[in-house]
Amino acid sequence: MNVMTTMTPAEQALGLTLPNRREEEWKWTDLRRFVERPYGAVVPADRKAVERLLAQSPFAGLKGPRLVIANGVVDEKLSRLAGVKLAKGAAAVAHEDVLLSLNNKLGVAGATLTFEGAVDQPVVIVFVTTGENSAVASRLHLDVAEGASASVIEVHLGEGAYLHNPVVSASIGKGARLDRVKVEQEASSAQHLSHLIATLGANAILNDFTLTAGAALSRQNVNVDFTGKGSNLRVNGSYLLTDSQHADTRLIVDHKVPHCTSRELFKCVMAEKARGVFQGKVIVRPDAQKTDGKQSSHALLLSETAEFDAKPELEIYADDVICGHGTTCGDLDHDHLFYLRSRGIPEAEARSLLVQAFLAEAIEAVENEQVREVLTEMIVERLV
Amino acid sequence: MFLAFQYPIEIPGVATMQFLKVAANAQRKARGEKEYTVPEFMKHVRAKAEALNINQDMLKRAVNVGFSGGEKKRAEILQMAVLEPSLCVLDETDSGLDIDAMRVVADGVNALRSPDRAMIVITHYQRLLDYIVPDKVHVLSDGKIVKSGPKELALELEEKGYANFVGQAA
Repeated sequence: MNVMTTMTPAEQALGLTLPNRREEEWKWTDLRRFVERPYGAVVPADRKAVERLLAQSPFAGLKGPRLVIANGVVDEKLSRLAGVKLAKGAAAVAHEDVLLSLNNKLGVAGATLTFEGAVDQPVVIVFVTTGENSAVASRLHLDVAEGASASVIEVHLGEGAYLHNPVVSASIGKGARLDRVKVEQEASSAQHLSHLIATLGANAILNDFTLTAGAALSRQNVNVDFTGKGSNLRVNGSYLLTDSQHADTRLIVDHKVPHCTSRELFKCVMAEKARGVFQGKVIVRPDAQKTDGKQSSHALLLSETAEFDAKPELEIYADDVICGHGTTCGDLDHDHLFYLRSRGIPEAEARSLLVQAFLAEAIEAVENEQVREVLTEMIVERLV
Repeated sequence: MFLAFQYPIEIPGVATMQFLKVAANAQRKARGEKEYTVPEFMKHVRAKAEALNINQDMLKRAVNVGFSGGEKKRAEILQMAVLEPSLCVLDETDSGLDIDAMRVVADGVNALRSPDRAMIVITHYQRLLDYIVPDKVHVLSDGKIVKSGPKELALELEEKGYANFVGQAA
């Protein structure tokens, strides 16, 4: 039994105990130490700041539907909801997790987006958070009906030293497809503690890509459960971290049923004193025969003080499966750099080209060309 | 200045076209010229690529990745043609080329010959020099030029070998 230790002022303010590094999953991200501010109550979002941030959003140029969630609350005035089925509230999810508990504790009504039929245009969902010392929870449920296909782009922006705890759940019905792109570009002193819980029905597809570029601390929990045969999952991610940013992704893919395929590819770039962590676990339950799972994480360290920690895990209880994982870590290839420079490309530009090339493989999974271009531009801008 | 490598390296993830554009614009910037716009540049490269038998597909692929020996050498000459350097050094460009590929590469090099451009072609064999006819031949041994002469010197070397010169340098 755990001996109750004294709660830190931050824990007292949030009303729950935070995990520390003695817990396996939090080994590299000691939340108890990271979250040290006694975050106060949420204040309404600063309207001017929200509008300014929206204009700066990398996807501001996309004209389609947009859902704006400012400090956890849907802002209908700033949203463009024509043709979008939006309802108040979000169904509870059945996973035990501290980030979910935090979400419940902070209390937020949430919203549900329902997709029926084939939706071509991506829905841009902008989470804007503003305020000093506030702990903000957001809650969104994506319901992709049987046979439907949907595409969402989640953007996280903000201003101030806040904690943002978004929980997104997705239920992807039989034969349905969801393409999701997440861009985490929170304010530089913010803390981003998110959780994605996705459930795939039979013959469903989830194609997911996350770019982690903002926040001082970013912890992203992802759970994907296969509940029907013949489904396909791709979860890709890129980190672009610098200074003393810290990003940790803990991904659990649970193959509960046979004949499903899962692919995870993370490409992480860390400069200065940044630290990237990737913890990926693939569980193959006894019934999940003919599972095909592959996971890999690759890191590019641009300085001597940058760090990457990877913990790939396979937990296989079935005997007729193909599963593998791999991890690499290195710096830029000097021969590549020399070749580019021999063609008159200045060093900084050559390095930027090589970093883009490194990340490109993970971004390739994004099928919408326009979205892929925006992501690439964002990366180029950040590298200059 | 441009150095055509004997063994051009592969750079996964960097598309040839993108690489050429960044390099060409870096050159133009350095020379104080206006940078190419995308359509201008596409036109500029396409014409040169066609002459070297390089198709659009190759331009879309990552730099030298999965290229055959001949394709790599042609890609090197394309880079040279696009970047328009004033001094070119071709380091054993003939190694690993069959006769047809050598002709394509040589035609590419010859098309770039001009009074404003110097080229140093490094080779061990006369073969390449049948296609790229040199103005002058220098024999390099142990880091020193031990003999210079007209193009006939290369033919003489082909006949008698290098043995005479190796002694001299020592």
